[in-house]
Amino acid sequence: MRLSLEVQCCSAMPPDADEPMPATRGVHDLGGASGWGRVPYEPDEPPFHADWERRVFGLLGAVTSATARRPGEFRYALERLHPDDYFDNGYYGRWLAGFEVLLDEYGVFDLSDLALRVSARTEQALGDITRASPALRVAPVADRVSSMLPPDRPVPAPQRRTVRRDLAEPPRFSTGDRVVAPTPTQPGHTRLPGYVMDKPGTVAKLHPAEVLPDSTAHNRGERPQHVYCVGYDARTLWGDDAEPNATVYADLYECYLTAAQSD
Amino acid sequence: MHDDHGHGHHHGEHDHGRHAASSPGVRVEALEDLLVERGLADRERIDATIQRFEDDIGPMIGARLVAEAWADAGLRRRLLSEADAVVAEMDIRGAEIEHIEVKANEPGVHNVVVCTLCSCYPWALLGLPPNWYKSPEYRARVVREPRAVLAEMGLHLEADTELRVWDSSSETRFLVLPERPVGTEGWSVERLVELVTRDSMIGVAHAADPGGQ
Repeated sequence: MRLSLEVQCCSAMPPDADEPMPATRGVHDLGGASGWGRVPYEPDEPPFHADWERRVFGLLGAVTSATARRPGEFRYALERLHPDDYFDNGYYGRWLAGFEVLLDEYGVFDLSDLALRVSARTEQALGDITRASPALRVAPVADRVSSMLPPDRPVPAPQRRTVRRDLAEPPRFSTGDRVVAPTPTQPGHTRLPGYVMDKPGTVAKLHPAEVLPDSTAHNRGERPQHVYCVGYDARTLWGDDAEPNATVYADLYECYLTAAQSD
Repeated sequence: MHDDHGHGHHHGEHDHGRHAASSPGVRVEALEDLLVERGLADRERIDATIQRFEDDIGPMIGARLVAEAWADAGLRRRLLSEADAVVAEMDIRGAEIEHIEVKANEPGVHNVVVCTLCSCYPWALLGLPPNWYKSPEYRARVVREPRAVLAEMGLHLEADTELRVWDSSSETRFLVLPERPVGTEGWSVERLVELVTRDSMIGVAHAADPGGQ
């Protein structure tokens, strides 16, 4: 097993030219996207619909222990998937594709190891199986420039495994402050939903401070941040299409936010 | 600006066949075998994890919290202001409850929870999320047209009801405290628990009708 902490990229195929993806909105960043139909609602739906979904779920701990151990890293692997791998087999299909990507990127095993096993169970040719691997069409890990991240602030290590941190610095914003989160200037993992970018909102509440996934997912340190619950009037987000009397709240890390111009 | 990026149009267009991967069932079997052979996974632990989330960790944990809060005004106040302390006192532990916030539905106010960026969900309180919660349809639409989505799912809200949509974009997880159904005065916590559905704690349904009990 390769124990390098830097995730290696192995994308051998160019992304489809007919599927342009804005740099700041990945395949996963779905809030507000149009073109989606009825929610496939099933009251009292069970957590699994097939045994393979159970097996994928059961493997999460083993795979992430061997690969993506930092906060945000597994999510970022899913965000880099080709849209087919992200959508085609639902949530657990997305996890399975993410597992294959991570195990390959960390060098835990080779794509051909897996292809041999699959081939032994199916009539499929080895080459076809390998070519269909999510690891061959995953987007590479973006280069995250440390100087464009907020400074790291070492804090005492918590007693247990948690993303929460106690910050000595007071929060920059208070409840009621008007804030805006500009569109990020560098690609990579973020928890800033695209639909609130550049829109003014109001701080509704402070949450406990957390390590910054935009940094940890890229192995750039914890850089803990205050976290704010920011409320957005639906009309601010969706204009004339907005439903009346609705507010959408997103939880945003302090470094995403600047003071909004008064309006 | 952030134009729609048309994933919905992409979905379903798979006539090119270039990316026909093997079935996930075959792939996960192969992957599990490899991990087990290399000592990176243990089948008994995998089985135990699955069993725990199918049998032991589920909506009944959150339902108990809700029913207790319906029955005890003091607990309700604390659950709404310091849910982490209440959860700890009740010895509820596990994944995805680093910080819990409980949002109360009341006359004129309705709360609904989503995770637009992935599928964050309070596992230790509600178990694993249902498929619809993780679907692109729900994630894309419930922030943009919550009233329409809820109506499609069978929940019709008054036009003047204020809707609050909570997008779980940090490690905070949300639980909706549904309104206590009328006609349950004097009910024991044990009876009340039966009315608290998972979907009512996500905010896409009311608690069950006591008449149906």
